[in-house]
Formats: sequence, structure tokens, C-alpha cells
Amino acid sequence: MHTLRNTLQWLRSDGRHFQIIAQISFLCYGVLLLGWDADWKNYLAIFSGVLLAQGLAIRFAGFPIDSLKSALITGLGLSLLMKANSPWLFLFAALMAIGMKFLTKLNGKHLWNPANFGIVIAAALSGDAWISPGQWGSSALIIFIIGTAGLAVLSNIKRLETGVAFLITFAALEYVRTVLYLGWEHDVFLLKLTNGSLWLFSFFMITDPMTTPNHRKLRVTWAIAVGVVSFYMANFHFINGAPFWTLFFFTPFTPLLDRLTPRIQSFVWRKATSSQKHIQHQSI
Amino acid sequence: MKTILTTLILAAALLGGLNASAFCGFYVAKADASLFNNKSEVIMVRNGNRNVITMSSDFKGDLSEFAMVVPVPTVLAEKDIRVIERRIFDVLNDYSAPRLVNYYDNNPCGYDLRRYEDYPSMSGMAVSESLSEMDIKTVAKSSVRIEAQYDIDEYKIIILSAKESDGLQLWLKANGYKVPETARQVLEPYVRSNMKFFLVKVNLEKVKNRNSEYLRPIQIRFDHAKFMLPLRLGMANSNGSQDMIVYALTTEGRVECTNYRTVKMPTDRNIPLYVEPKFGDFYKSLFEKTYKQEGRNAVFLEYAWNVSPYNAVKCDPCVGPPPVNYDFVEAGADWITQGNFNQTIFFTRLHVRYSRDKFPSDLQFQVTPNNENFQCRYVMTYPASGSDFTCDAGQEYLVDLYNRRKKEVDELAALTGWSAANGSTYIREYNKYLTPKRRENLRNEGIPVTIQKNLPRKWFVSVALLISLTLILLVTKRPALAEN
Repeated sequence: MHTLRNTLQWLRSDGRHFQIIAQISFLCYGVLLLGWDADWKNYLAIFSGVLLAQGLAIRFAGFPIDSLKSALITGLGLSLLMKANSPWLFLFAALMAIGMKFLTKLNGKHLWNPANFGIVIAAALSGDAWISPGQWGSSALIIFIIGTAGLAVLSNIKRLETGVAFLITFAALEYVRTVLYLGWEHDVFLLKLTNGSLWLFSFFMITDPMTTPNHRKLRVTWAIAVGVVSFYMANFHFINGAPFWTLFFFTPFTPLLDRLTPRIQSFVWRKATSSQKHIQHQSI
Repeated sequence: MKTILTTLILAAALLGGLNASAFCGFYVAKADASLFNNKSEVIMVRNGNRNVITMSSDFKGDLSEFAMVVPVPTVLAEKDIRVIERRIFDVLNDYSAPRLVNYYDNNPCGYDLRRYEDYPSMSGMAVSESLSEMDIKTVAKSSVRIEAQYDIDEYKIIILSAKESDGLQLWLKANGYKVPETARQVLEPYVRSNMKFFLVKVNLEKVKNRNSEYLRPIQIRFDHAKFMLPLRLGMANSNGSQDMIVYALTTEGRVECTNYRTVKMPTDRNIPLYVEPKFGDFYKSLFEKTYKQEGRNAVFLEYAWNVSPYNAVKCDPCVGPPPVNYDFVEAGADWITQGNFNQTIFFTRLHVRYSRDKFPSDLQFQVTPNNENFQCRYVMTYPASGSDFTCDAGQEYLVDLYNRRKKEVDELAALTGWSAANGSTYIREYNKYLTPKRRENLRNEGIPVTIQKNLPRKWFVSVALLISLTLILLVTKRPALAEN
């Protein structure tokens, strides 16, 4: 029992631990049960890319050794979301994702969510990478609810309201348009909302404390704005995976918003004297 | 030891056996009872925002009763509507259909008899019956506007826009389009989305002149960012599920569905020889089983290949002669020009079995840069010819053959759910050439014909749920822990 308690204690000491567990479960679900194409070369490229880049940062830029966990989360995020024709592109996305963190560092935060940046840059520059919004289907929802609930309880996420604000905004607008305005049945709306990619985005990407505003009210407003723009891009410009593209253009505004609230400190993963209140989860 | 001597292909007659008729729109007719649309075929070409959609009908019945309504995003000009030959569908179907491949073993004891056989490719053809006069009345309805009206070959085409669905429904009724009650609720969202309605009837005089046996496919062309197929109207006069085969041609790569999962069909499986005469049934069972296994709400990938002129190998092996540039241009891939070998054309074949409860929303697609090739390929390996297997290598070959056939029978059961019971004679067929001692050894092993079952998804979900809940409970039981 002691060992178990110690393990749990260690797990709770850093919100990223549970996030890694949740993401690994999602990946296993996708590969084993949804039958995704799982080429080990791609995963090798992703993980060697993120760990190598982070390793260099630890060695030469004095980053703490446990920042490898963040790199692992970025790697898992890329594995869950990105599709590409060649392992080299995965390597490229991984290096870009981690590299961006150091090149755009501002007040301990960075301009983009690493995985989001990696995917968007690889897709836009090469034209050979893409996102598959349909890959989860809607039956994966239960897995996401478990993962998210577990994460929320276990790691005491303070950025949870960001994801919730985004999801509620997006869902409300979809409901108004799909059901109230267009007159589709409720299951048409549910199909849109039970998309696994949307949930992954809501609770594992937009919630990244390193790219969300420090002030809570600003954070919620910011998430609502992402929700409105994503809805607009998806419904009126037929952009697939609209939230991912929208986020890419929204996170760079975070430093500007943080200037409005200079007294609130930026988020830190673990302080030397950290206690439970600092424990957060990162996003992919 | 096993050598491939020759490869022969049987094109699957998957489309022939199904009794059906449908586009992605709905049929309306006087004799509503006999109209079930269970299967349709669509060619979908996408180049940037340019869409070319060709719909094939195997409508069976009185042509005067044929009427079709398809929602389209824009008003189409006359030049954007064409009637093409049904042959293009056959070419694309034959080329992309799931295929059976035959391999032949060499006799390790020296006999080498090559066998060549040929299998005809089969494909279904719809036959129309009697023709009668049809006339289009125009009822002035404030909420409905006739945007355009064309006579194109054997079809009379009207493009309507409507402000509200009740008016549209009245108009359709007054003009001889019997709209099923279930279609009515669905018209509303299309009207609200500002979609136009593409109405088609048969111009009977012209059909008589042409002495046509079946309706030719209609091709429409429009520029719009939306890349979708309106399924919901097609569900209006159908019982249960319907099948649709989509042949998609793009300049870039694979087409995949964005609001449902796109799943690859099982491929490259070794199956027993006795499946050959019933290959069509085999694939139907395989599809049925896979469809159920994936929760009945997935889109299935049956073929994906870069069929560009510069790409010499377009299938491995090929089912039939490849479509030529002319076929692609006819199908709507107008970026392909004669003599230019540098353009890319990527061919995706998707198979959807949809029903109202599992596919509430229209199919939405995206073109991905995914250029990985895929085909549904099932392999049969014929044993070596001759009856002299007395040499050592021959005896070993027979043991291998026995084990291979065991695997084939298991595979068949796992793929289709067919009973493995009648496979035992097949597995033992060549044991008579074994020396008594070896036969004895094999007999002692028995024939463990087992049906492999995949772990059901609900089990995984339940276990994951349990573990997660336990974890959550365990951890939350204790108040915040001080860190070490």
C-alpha cells in the first residue's frame, strides 16, 4: 500500500504525469482499436525530434531536466493529431515545435502551443502534412470524457475554464445554427459535438498555460473569441480542423493581453518549493 | 520453395448483385412502394474549389416515374450540366474493385505446369422498362423561384431556389414530384442553408429516339468550398441501410471523410481456394462484418492510388485495363490534357453503408496530401501440380501446404464469420501424398481450427472506465499531499 501511495504521490506532484498517461491511452485507443496507420518510423521521428531538441535546450540553455516531460507531451500531441507522408516531416514538425519554444520565449511563456505550431508549420510549408478531424469518430467520446475528467480531478487544472469556455461557446453557436436556425435534428448537432478531435483540442491544447493569458477573465474571453472564430471558419468558410488553425492565430496575442495585467505572474510548472497549488497540466 | 508463376485477377461483381437505384438525392414516383434506393454510385472530382459530381442511376421502373431532387450549393449554368456514358462508371469500378489474386506454387519435385485461366469481369447494368410522357407544370409560388430550366439530352432539368420548405414542397407536389413525408423535414435545412434544388425528369421523347436501355449518368460542375455529398435526402425513400460507392479524383491525394471515420478494409489476406466461385459473396460478408465491427458509422476505403500518367504501376495487380486520360476527363478531371504526362491524378474509392440512425449528417470530405496507395486484395495460392511429392522437399512442401491451408481457413472465418467447419477436407486434401509417418505426425497435431475473435471495443471501454474510476477514487480519497 505504501508503494502505491508513494507512486500516487509522485504522480500528483506534477500535472504533466497524468497528462502523459491520458495521451498515451488516447494513442493506444487510436492505434489498437480505431486501427490508425501506425508506422513506428513516424513515432520514432517525432519522439527523437522533441527529446533531442529539448535535450539541447537543457544542455545549452539551462532548462530544468524535467522539461523533458513537456517535450514528451508535445511529442504525444503530434502523434495524436498530425498526419504526414514522410517521417522526415514528423521530425521537422517535432524540431520546429520545440525550437519555437526557445526562439519565441517571452516572460517565461511562448507565442504558440508547440504541437499546434509544429503541425501548422509542417502543413503550411510542405503541403504534405494534414490533420484528420474525422479520425476519432464519435464513439471515442467516452474515452475523452474519462481522460478529461480524470485529468481535471487528478491534476487540479486551473486552466480548465479555458477549455470549457471554448467548448461551450463553440457548442452554443453550433446549436443555434444547426438546430435552431437550419432545423436539423438533434443528432446532427450531437455528431458535430462528439467529434474526438474537438475534445482533444478543448482539453489538451487550448488549455496550455504557456500560451493562455495569465488573468482568468481575459483567459475566458480569449477562449470565447477562439470559439467564435473557429465556429465561423468551420461553418462559413468550410475549414476542416478550424479550431487548430484558429488557435495558431490567437496564441500570439497572449503576451499583449498579459501586458494588461502585469501584476499577475506567468505560470510556472514546478517551483523549488512547489506545493499542490502550483500543480498544473500542460497542453500538447 | 513457393514461386509465383502467374497472377490472374477476378474482378468482383459487387455492384451487379444488388437490386437498387439511387442518387444522393431522392426519387419521387407515383408507385412509391416499389422504390427503394439501396445503392448508388457517385464520381466526385475536386480541384481547389471546383467540384464535378457525376451521379449514376440504376433506376428500374417506368421512366415516366423517374424524378430526382438533389440539393446543390449554386445555380448551375447549362454548360455545367452534362450527360455522360455509363461506361465511365464501369471503367472506374472495374479498376478499383476489391480483387482476388491467384498465385501458383511450383512443384519442388520438378513438375512445373503453368496454368492460365481467365475470369470475366462482371458488372451490373440497369434496365429500364416502359416510357411515358412527362410534363413540367409551373406553379407560381411566391416562395419558390425557377432559377433555370434546361433540356439536356434525355433529361429535363429545373433548378429551383426556395425561401421556405412548405412552399417548395407544394411546388414539387403540383409538378408531379411526390415527396415522401420523411423528406419534408429534411428539405427545410437545405432551404435554410441557401442550397438550390436540382430537379431531374426524363424527357421521354428523346429516350425513345435514343432507344436507350438505361438512364445515363448526369454530371454537374460548380465552384464551391463545400466538399460534401447530401445523403439525407437519399434516405427519404429507403428502408434501412443503403450503400454508396464514391469514386473520387483529385489533384493531390486521398479523399477522406471529416465527420465520420474513414477506415481501410482488411486487405492482403490469404483465403482458401474454395472461395473463388463465391468471391462476390465473400466480399459482401467481409464488408458486412467489418461494417458492424466498426460501429456501422464509418466510411470504408477500398482503393487509393496515384493513377497519374507518369506513374507506370497503377495497381498490383491490375484488374483491368487502366482508365485512359479520356476517361478521367469524361469523369470531370479536366486538368488532365492529352499528351501531358506531368499532371497528378489521385483516385480514391470509398464505400459507405449508411442509415438514418448512424449517419445523421451529410458526408463531408477533405482532400489530403496522403498519397499512400491502397487496394483491397485477397490472395489465393494454388498448390503445385502433379502427384509426385516423394522427394524430401516435396514432403516438406506438403506439410507447409497443410499448415498454410489451416491458416487460410482461420483467416476466412475471422474475416467473414463463415463457419470454418467445411474447411477440414480442404486442409487435408494433399495429405494423401504424404508418407504414412509424416501423416501420422500431422494427425497427432490435430486441426485446431479456431475462430479468432477481436477484442470487442466495449470491453476496452469498460476496462478503461474501471481503471480510471479506481485511480480517481484512490487519489481523491486523500487530501492534498505534500510533495516530497
